[in-house]
Amino acid sequence: MTAKGKSESRTFAPLAHRDDLDAFRNEVRNWLGAVVPEGWFARSAGAPEADYLAFQRWWLGEMQKVGLATPHWPKDWGGEDLSLRHQVIVSEEMVRAGAPNPDLYVVSLYHLPATLFAHGAPAQRERYLKGVVERGEIWCQGFSEPNAGSDLAALRTRAERRGDVFVVNGQKVWSSFAAHANYCLLLARTDPNAPKKQAGISYFILDMKSPGVTVRRIKQMTGQSEFCELFFDDVEIPGENLIGAENAGWAIAQSTLSAERGLIIFDLAERMHAAFVREIAAVRAAAPAWWADAALRRTFVTHYGELQSLRLLIRRMLSELDENPEMGASALPPLIKIKWSELLRRHTDFWLAVGGLNAQEDAPPLTGGGHITGNRMQDFMSSYAWTIAGGANEIIKTLIAERTLGLPR
Amino acid sequence: MGEAVGTAELRESFREVLDDIVAAGCVRRHVDEGASRCAPLWTKAAELGWFALLTPESHGGLGLPRAAAAALYEELGRAAAPLPIAAALAATEIVSAFGSQAQQAQWLSRLAGGDAAAFSASGPALDDASLRLANAALFGETGDLLDGVEAALLLAPVRDGENLRWALIDAADLSMQRIALVDRTRSLARARLDGAPASVFSADAHAIARKLRIHMSIALACDSIGGAREVLAFTIAYLKTREQFGKPIGSFQALKHRCAEHLVAIEAASALLGEAVSRWERDDIEAELYALLIKAQACDVYAAVAEDAVQLHGGIGFTWEHMCHVYLKRAKLNQVLFGASAAYHDAAARLLAA
Ligand SMILES: Cc1cc2nc3c(=O)[nH]c(=O)nc-3n(C[C@H](O)[C@H](O)[C@H](O)COP(=O)(O)OP(=O)(O)OC[C@H]3O[C@@H](n4cnc5c(N)ncnc54)[C@H](O)[C@@H]3O)c2cc1C
Repeated sequence: MTAKGKSESRTFAPLAHRDDLDAFRNEVRNWLGAVVPEGWFARSAGAPEADYLAFQRWWLGEMQKVGLATPHWPKDWGGEDLSLRHQVIVSEEMVRAGAPNPDLYVVSLYHLPATLFAHGAPAQRERYLKGVVERGEIWCQGFSEPNAGSDLAALRTRAERRGDVFVVNGQKVWSSFAAHANYCLLLARTDPNAPKKQAGISYFILDMKSPGVTVRRIKQMTGQSEFCELFFDDVEIPGENLIGAENAGWAIAQSTLSAERGLIIFDLAERMHAAFVREIAAVRAAAPAWWADAALRRTFVTHYGELQSLRLLIRRMLSELDENPEMGASALPPLIKIKWSELLRRHTDFWLAVGGLNAQEDAPPLTGGGHITGNRMQDFMSSYAWTIAGGANEIIKTLIAERTLGLPR
Repeated sequence: MGEAVGTAELRESFREVLDDIVAAGCVRRHVDEGASRCAPLWTKAAELGWFALLTPESHGGLGLPRAAAAALYEELGRAAAPLPIAAALAATEIVSAFGSQAQQAQWLSRLAGGDAAAFSASGPALDDASLRLANAALFGETGDLLDGVEAALLLAPVRDGENLRWALIDAADLSMQRIALVDRTRSLARARLDGAPASVFSADAHAIARKLRIHMSIALACDSIGGAREVLAFTIAYLKTREQFGKPIGSFQALKHRCAEHLVAIEAASALLGEAVSRWERDDIEAELYALLIKAQACDVYAAVAEDAVQLHGGIGFTWEHMCHVYLKRAKLNQVLFGASAAYHDAAARLLAA
């Protein structure tokens, strides 16, 4: 797989048309038509990891050239202050064009800004948000530990203040993309004697090149090794890398997690919709054999309806956010996470039923294109990432029951 | 429950052997390496006469009732064992019941000694038999052969002019191409036949297909119930020891209820399986109906339990190292081997309405 675009006949400037939504959409479409390499997705099948990384870097770079890598970020931090309506247009067009998903940068593009916008010091925003925009820095999230998963507040990784630095010892686990990351969003315990376990946690920026950091990959059931274990042995973090106040990390972590439960799903749901649209076009052209099976047809249509519900919920959330950008203001993110992840599991399972024995054949994974890739077993297995990560569904449902419905704890 | 004494003892002996095989890391290594043949297990099984369970005593076999095979399949499922034996025992039945003396003499002792057999796992569609018979030789390609590269014998429906027949083909006379599956405890194969000598059965092709289907339906149902019980057992063990929020996660009601539901589903399917096995053993007129019903039910229950087990384990359940995925992949394959549940429900509906 080569990270090579088609020859560009002209430069594209979608942002020059920001005041006219139709013209903006048009220019995004033109740009994508010129830049997205033909057949990149099929070529991603089984490609070596180095190619995947190079391709992701190249793609982030292309998006940056036209100002569309971080268009909704504030101008001061390398963004374009673009409204969510513009962002919706960009995503719709990306999906329509079958453009790659910059999934290597998911923490850089979503979790990091969700954390720093609200809680970062100006110097941190300046340094690290620009680092993503200008240098394509990769971030990972170091929250979970072997004994602190659902009960994240039980985390034991210790950060002790010694003069100007914090000295970190402990272990993290399941940290996605950590093997490639430049930085880590790290939660560690600074006050082991706090009256509540939530009250003794602080939030740090960790440079992954710091002495004492060891990264070990963990192989997943899919055969890939995207998440890792992290070990810290007297790792020094400069005091200026503390985000927010000491021992105030728990509340900040909630901002990070809400990013996961809302915005990321928007793009993935649009990609699932695009897969439906392609399938429906195929049915119109010449109905595939499975379409003659009433049970399968009904399941397909049921899922289609559910996906439209999800897309509408997401749009409602986006307009709520447009009015009040503080993620906590919307009650919808946890609902969206449950709806998306459960639909994803059932829908990938539906494709297994359609695929029959063929779908059970071992085939190389397709990367960078969302969750409906056509490698049916891979898609099915990857759906667990959404029912377990970012707060398992059981935990999210309790949260909905208690916070939204007000049921007793 | 209700198992004959002899069968219960046999089951115990199967379990002991398989426990040793699992403890020696054979299954784990097989999965990690993506190997095609699990030699230690196969050798042991052949030595212990597992391949001879259903072979008539007159051909050097043990001549045991079918319940013995059912118990073995359940234990193999429990261990997620990579042993292609069900098709060999099914082929043994076919050759014993329908074979000429020459066919029996040629194949029964080989099968009893541990030679594997293969046939298509695509499902019950006999009518698209793709092999053509000309002058006692076979031409064409056939696919979806379960554990085909391990097999010494291919059993396939063939077209002889207007007639549909089943034939036996020595695997040495054809070329087999392996197709790896996500479930590494099994594989598929495609075979090319370029004039391979065929030994044709004169019996009605549909009668043979029916017998094979009943056998494989019960085999997969047993495998599924054995697997589902094992998955539920190690999941319960995990829920008792894994602590979050200061207590075992098994104390959370949301998880308790799901485990209880899985147990209900497994016990219900297991009851139906027992009935299906006993009707199969007696060649009861409803044996086929029960086999169809239990294939669908047991495989679906297994898939549901294995699917939830990953979720109940959290992050660790998503790793390669943990056994969850080995069972999940086996369960998802069982669901579609020899046709998916929908095809079994349709076939059962036809039988009920006939
Ligand atoms: C693909 C993937 C990517 C991930 N990426 C990251 C990452 O980048 N960074 C990071 O920090 N972490 C990451 N994680 C970790 C993830 O956040 C945890 O796996 C998750 O929070 C669950 O924790 P656990 O694995 O310890 O499971 P446990 O907490 O042990 O949970 C096991 C089961 O018990 C249930 N359970 C627990 N408590 C309760 C309760 N009170 N009531 C009801 N049910 C309960 C859970 O829902 C689950 O079903 C990732 C996980 C996956 C699968």
